Amino acid sequence: MKKSTLRDREISLSSKLLIIIFWIIISRIIDNDIILPTITSTVNGLGKIISNPNFFNIIGYSILRSLFGFIISLSIAIVMGVLSRFSKFIYNLMVPFVNFLSSTPTIAIIILALIWLNNEIVPLFVGFIMVFPILYETILKSMLNIDNKVLEMAKVYNVNRMNIIKEIYLPSIFIGLSNILSSAMGINLKMVIAGEVLSQPRYAIGTNLQLQKIYLNTSGVFAWIIIILAIGKLYEYLMKGLVLCIKSKRYLSPMEN
Amino acid sequence: MYKIEKISKSYGELKVLDNISLEFPEEKTTCILGPSGCGKTSLLNILADLTAKDSGEIIGFEDEKSYIFQEDRLIPWKSVKENLELVLKGEMDKNKALETIDKYLELVNLEEYKHYYPKELSGGMRQRINILRAFIYPAKLIIMDEPFKSLDINQKKILMDFFINLREKDRKTCIMVTHDIDEAIALGHRIVIFTEKPTRVKRIMDIENYKDKAKLRGEISKEFKKWDDSHPIKYRYLRIF
Repeated sequence: MKKSTLRDREISLSSKLLIIIFWIIISRIIDNDIILPTITSTVNGLGKIISNPNFFNIIGYSILRSLFGFIISLSIAIVMGVLSRFSKFIYNLMVPFVNFLSSTPTIAIIILALIWLNNEIVPLFVGFIMVFPILYETILKSMLNIDNKVLEMAKVYNVNRMNIIKEIYLPSIFIGLSNILSSAMGINLKMVIAGEVLSQPRYAIGTNLQLQKIYLNTSGVFAWIIIILAIGKLYEYLMKGLVLCIKSKRYLSPMEN
Repeated sequence: MYKIEKISKSYGELKVLDNISLEFPEEKTTCILGPSGCGKTSLLNILADLTAKDSGEIIGFEDEKSYIFQEDRLIPWKSVKENLELVLKGEMDKNKALETIDKYLELVNLEEYKHYYPKELSGGMRQRINILRAFIYPAKLIIMDEPFKSLDINQKKILMDFFINLREKDRKTCIMVTHDIDEAIALGHRIVIFTEKPTRVKRIMDIENYKDKAKLRGEISKEFKKWDDSHPIKYRYLRIF
């Protein structure tokens, strides 16, 4: 097992190296920084971006927006998911809403959002419309997948409703969510930045990406991509850590909580 | 005394239970024997308040009751201890619950499995925890739905001993449904034989009246045979499975 993980890592590392080598070769051949910047100009661009006195404001606001938006989406998804599980009325009420969000082209909703909403809210909203249906459906599905026989057992043994929710429903939701949480966060980050490109809030990665595009500063765009990838990776580790932490708390010393 | 009177139940057009009246002596095990699919589980579910009856009366079943299911019905993300603890919540405070769990696990020599998760245990071991859960729960009555059905012969013997061992320590009233004559003779104080659908009570036998177990077995088989003879095709079908 350990051996194969090591091998997987080697393959993943060589694939990254391959991408960099391709980048170097193609940028040499094209020899035009506007179409494909070289590694050096990208690193220079990165340096310029980081040395900007507002750099931490920019990424701070974007991170805050994506985290805040994600927490809102997750909270609403949990509440609506649980309500839909127990109320047929709310379930039916949610069906057209979720269908609308999942099947209407995102850009159409974004355009409406640009008309209706404040430019600070638009990125949150864009993240929400992408991530909410995924979270909601995962939560609902993980609750519907609970074995009816286990619920029957809880009923026979007079386990009260609070404990059924706490000990059976919530862990099922958690198990379902733990599989998709980090990818949902990644999607959310990307969508928030896309929203920022369109709505142009004062401090935002998206606003700066758009600025680099206007100046035809492709190396700046590349540099921002690297920063976004780093934030994405950070989220991934954060989520993995969080999931592990909750799991170990639940699984190793559950009596203490 | 646990009693049911004139219990009837139909699923749509299909009449499953027809006017069943029975008494279950306290601190004794009553085994209900009947052909597969005759509605034995339906009766248990009515007693456990999991299914509604159409008519009739249930007397003495209002208090807490345990249920040993055919499958273990353990919660996969909870350890043995947590699975047992869940049913004790609301019945006693936490320390008492932990004490009780430890006491019982020690009693049946399963302390070492306390922190195991269901998927780490064999089927037989999980079923033991299912049985143990029923005994740990502070109920005077245990309802059992073919708890040894899915086990091989060796496991069955071990688990039946396990059950007898626990039953001797805690004097509980047990109502067990089975289709296995030997199981009923080995565990029951009273044997109730059901007819096929719509199910009625065919015969009630108290084991203490039969000194000779072989004779008892013969008589029960005869009851089954009568039923078998009237349904030769179904009988063959049942024999295969």
